[in-house]
Amino acid sequence: MAVKDVQIKDKHIENLAKIVGGAQSILYKKEDLLAYDCDGFTIHRHLPKAVVFPKSTEEVAQIVKYCHENDLPFLARGAGTGLSGGAIPLNGEVVISLTKMKRLLSVDLENRRAVVEPGFVNLKLTHSISDKGYYYAPDPSSQYCCTIGGNVAENAGGAHCLKYGVTTNHILGMEVVLPNGEIIEISTNGVLDPPGYDLLGLLTGSEGTLGIVTKITVRILKNPEAKQTVLAYFDKVSDASQAVSDIISAGIVPAALEMMDKTAIEGVEAAAFPVGHPKDIEALLLIEVDGISAGIDEQIDEILKVCRRRNVREVKVAQDEKERERWWANRKTGFGAMGAISPDYLVQDGVIPRSKLPEVLERIKQISEKYGLRIANIFHAGDGNLHPLVLFDARKPGETEKALAAGSECLQVCADVGGSITGEHGVGIEKREEMRFIFTDEEIIAQTNIRDVFNPKNLLNAGKLFPTPGRCVEVKRNEKTK
Amino acid sequence: MFLITEQQGVLGLIATEFLLELKSILRDSQIQVEENESHPLGNSGRVTVYPQTEEEIANVLKYADNGGKKVTIVGGGTKRGFGGLTECADILLSLADYKGVVEHTVGDMTLTVKSGTPFQQLQEYLAQYNQTIALDPAWPEYATIGGVIAANDSGPKRFRYGSARDSVIGMRVVYPNGTIIRSGGKVVKNVAGYDMNKLFIGSMGTLGVIAEVTLKLRPLPKYESLILLSFPEGNIEEIRAFAVRLLDSMMEPTSLELLSPSLSERLTGKRTYTLAIGFEDVESSVHYQEDFVKRIQPSKTSMAILPLKEARVFWQQFYTIGPNGRQSGDGQEIEAALKIGVVNLDVLQVIKESHILQEAANVAIEAHGGLGHGLCQVYVKGTGEDVVAVIERFRQFVTPLGGYVIVKHLPFALRQKVDVWGEKPSYFFLLEGIKAKIDPNHTLNHRRFVGGI
Ligand SMILES: Cc1cc2nc3c(=O)[nH]c(=O)nc-3n(C[C@H](O)[C@H](O)[C@H](O)COP(=O)(O)OP(=O)(O)OC[C@H]3O[C@@H](n4cnc5c(N)ncnc54)[C@H](O)[C@@H]3O)c2cc1C
Ligand SMILES: Cc1cc2nc3c(=O)[nH]c(=O)nc-3n(C[C@H](O)[C@H](O)[C@H](O)COP(=O)(O)OP(=O)(O)OC[C@H]3O[C@@H](n4cnc5c(N)ncnc54)[C@H](O)[C@@H]3O)c2cc1C
Repeated sequence: MAVKDVQIKDKHIENLAKIVGGAQSILYKKEDLLAYDCDGFTIHRHLPKAVVFPKSTEEVAQIVKYCHENDLPFLARGAGTGLSGGAIPLNGEVVISLTKMKRLLSVDLENRRAVVEPGFVNLKLTHSISDKGYYYAPDPSSQYCCTIGGNVAENAGGAHCLKYGVTTNHILGMEVVLPNGEIIEISTNGVLDPPGYDLLGLLTGSEGTLGIVTKITVRILKNPEAKQTVLAYFDKVSDASQAVSDIISAGIVPAALEMMDKTAIEGVEAAAFPVGHPKDIEALLLIEVDGISAGIDEQIDEILKVCRRRNVREVKVAQDEKERERWWANRKTGFGAMGAISPDYLVQDGVIPRSKLPEVLERIKQISEKYGLRIANIFHAGDGNLHPLVLFDARKPGETEKALAAGSECLQVCADVGGSITGEHGVGIEKREEMRFIFTDEEIIAQTNIRDVFNPKNLLNAGKLFPTPGRCVEVKRNEKTK
Repeated sequence: MFLITEQQGVLGLIATEFLLELKSILRDSQIQVEENESHPLGNSGRVTVYPQTEEEIANVLKYADNGGKKVTIVGGGTKRGFGGLTECADILLSLADYKGVVEHTVGDMTLTVKSGTPFQQLQEYLAQYNQTIALDPAWPEYATIGGVIAANDSGPKRFRYGSARDSVIGMRVVYPNGTIIRSGGKVVKNVAGYDMNKLFIGSMGTLGVIAEVTLKLRPLPKYESLILLSFPEGNIEEIRAFAVRLLDSMMEPTSLELLSPSLSERLTGKRTYTLAIGFEDVESSVHYQEDFVKRIQPSKTSMAILPLKEARVFWQQFYTIGPNGRQSGDGQEIEAALKIGVVNLDVLQVIKESHILQEAANVAIEAHGGLGHGLCQVYVKGTGEDVVAVIERFRQFVTPLGGYVIVKHLPFALRQKVDVWGEKPSYFFLLEGIKAKIDPNHTLNHRRFVGGI
């Protein structure tokens, strides 16, 4: 070990290095730590104490035990693509990176399950089983790099979750290292409904505050027999929104139902995967249905009819898999594409009842005008999960704060119409205070009480997910109980 | 503590005071004193109360929690024989009068409903809008939506549609101290805070009273059918090979349920292993899938296809095969219902074992299990001694398979002898910790759940 370095004198770092088998599995120098001072939410930053790279559950357990005994704050990190700041070491945590635990441990096609280590990348699972005709359903747009451990922590969703459900609907079992270093296994063989409270359901979406997931048993699905994708261009946002409602009301459950507005289209067309969408339309819908081939045409006909009834300018069905893939690449790289038209952008993640879409989009437009910042909308329209992208320039003084305020106001609108402040990105640091838009103090305490059962010393990922205590008297912005 | 003394005088006195106190919370017509507190299935109460508002539920709980009284919750009572080491609590809190739709947003396909609403009533209401709750619990006529969710039970269609944990998006829960906690919300996608819904689903009423539930709905399938494929030779390997082939195809059955020969005899008239393969979709798709099954039909099997109405009639009958906790079940014969969870295809072994045990032990056994989800329901009838022995045999059988046996229905007296939930999980301390945070006085459904929670 580089003994000359000041920090290596730190006995904790020395001891942690021993657990993970030496200096090559730990980072502790400032220049190395810089890459870990934030995740996909770049507005807050803080340096970790160290980053360790365990290779096994036992190593994770030992690290955690060490931190627990020495009162060192710690947290887990996957690929660091989280958009709400969940993996940011706010308190100078020891970051436990799971990227070296990335094996696919087993696949059991007959029983439709696979077991992975937490650092296994989402899309790799589908790639590993697609030759047999199987896939893993949750498909966040970041799936080419985010980890399944991170997906579990955030209860990640994706475009195809409308029909198939989000991560929690596909988790059958897990192995978890509790914040005191104890290892527990919950239905790792994938047997449903183990007797007792549903800890799998509770742990999924707990944003890495209840334990560190070290093994995950997931459900895998057989590919649908057929798939058809429709692209529809509208001159009015309200017509596109109405079409969304009409499709659902017609009794169709599309696999995906996505929408982009004019600003978003400008972005994706300027970026790496342009499709040639007309520049002057107000909204587009990307609709996919899948299932048994014999039933698909009927559904496509119905969708085309709905679009025409809602004054669609142009509507087309993908002619082949290549065209379909082009449309999806254009959509799935949508967030990053904003970089082509704005130096910085902030992604929000509110959810609303579908029927409120026209009203809410109108109010977002007003927020955009109020702050003088452009807001692009790319979102999962079928389940009402909005992603307002606030475009700003961090170099301009005060603009970051303005963007944050505009984003928060969008969430207030979602809460006001009976929705939620996050549909898939999690609360993290970003939306801690906005939790009060939808929960009372009592309800928040009910949740922190559960955290205390698992994480009584609150050393694991502290300061995330919940509003800072002691500010309870401050503006209770939304005193709703109904 | 006074309440348990045998001295009639003291008991009478306390009871009067107790009643007076309850009467300050509820109207007389909402309070019913039980003449006979003992019921063969236990889980009864000295006094039954029928709150009609959330506030009344909260007041009853607050009163009980402060005064050291025990409360048992009942929805439709179909699960009265499910768990519980308390023969009679102080208060039986019934949700029978807390029912009705609170909000149905047709376009959003979401429904908020009071927990005492009978399941079937809800489905009939929703059918007018071509919508449905994608759950298929037993005894839908009596089972309440709150009870279905508190017990997190599911039927054969779980294979395609999932269970309560996949349909519930929000709840209002009354905690034992009377506070009302909302979990989730009214939108179909939501990750704000912990997913507290999951805690209450399947908690058997040991954490709080579920007052309201918000569910996401599905469109009613436009068409459905059911294929009954019977295997007269009873060769399990042959059934397995067929099931694997179907599962590996791109067909999308809603159910792939294996019936034991005895159950098949009752439902289809044929004493053979039978697969119940359901399809729900547009009509052309359903017929297309039927054709596929016909094409891969193994030789020496026989097939019946029940279209639409006939399929529904079959399922209706199917949902009432098990014992119902609303009936007292007295008489010589004891009835037990087991839920057995194993890895999907091990269901074949469990159903086969039930057939073998029925021949070997002196009991009648009917069983079914889903090859796509791994859950089996096993119904046993016989003398108490034999039934208990069979439960033990099943446990010995599934433990090496990594499965579990939960006894979903058993008379109170036998529940003292059999641990209905089986061994405590290794992480039991977490379950206990959660209970202690929410219900520190063990007011609700005391000793109803795993490990005596
Ligand atoms: C371009 C882009 C597109 C995106 N699109 C989507 C989308 O469509 N849908 C969606 O849902 N999300 C999306 N995201 C957000 C993000 O990719 C997901 O939240 C993802 O699940 C995070 O995984 P990760 O491996 O990067 O986790 P990280 O960012 O490393 O961690 C996220 C949180 O999980 C915790 N954590 C990580 N691993 C573990 C573990 N093993 N045990 C316990 N806790 C753990 C961390 O402590 C942290 O709190 C997108 C992000 C980007 C950058
Ligand atoms: C023998 C048997 C076999 C069954 N088989 C199946 C099956 O194959 N598939 C299936 O899906 N279902 C099955 N069920 C389950 C059944 O249909 C319902 O899921 C269940 O009965 C719930 O309805 P209930 O209103 O009768 O509940 P109850 O019996 O009244 O209550 C069930 C439990 O939930 C608690 N509870 C009730 N209401 C509330 C509330 N509002 N808040 C909090 N706790 C509450 C009670 O205290 C009790 O612990 C079976 C039931 C039995 C008895």
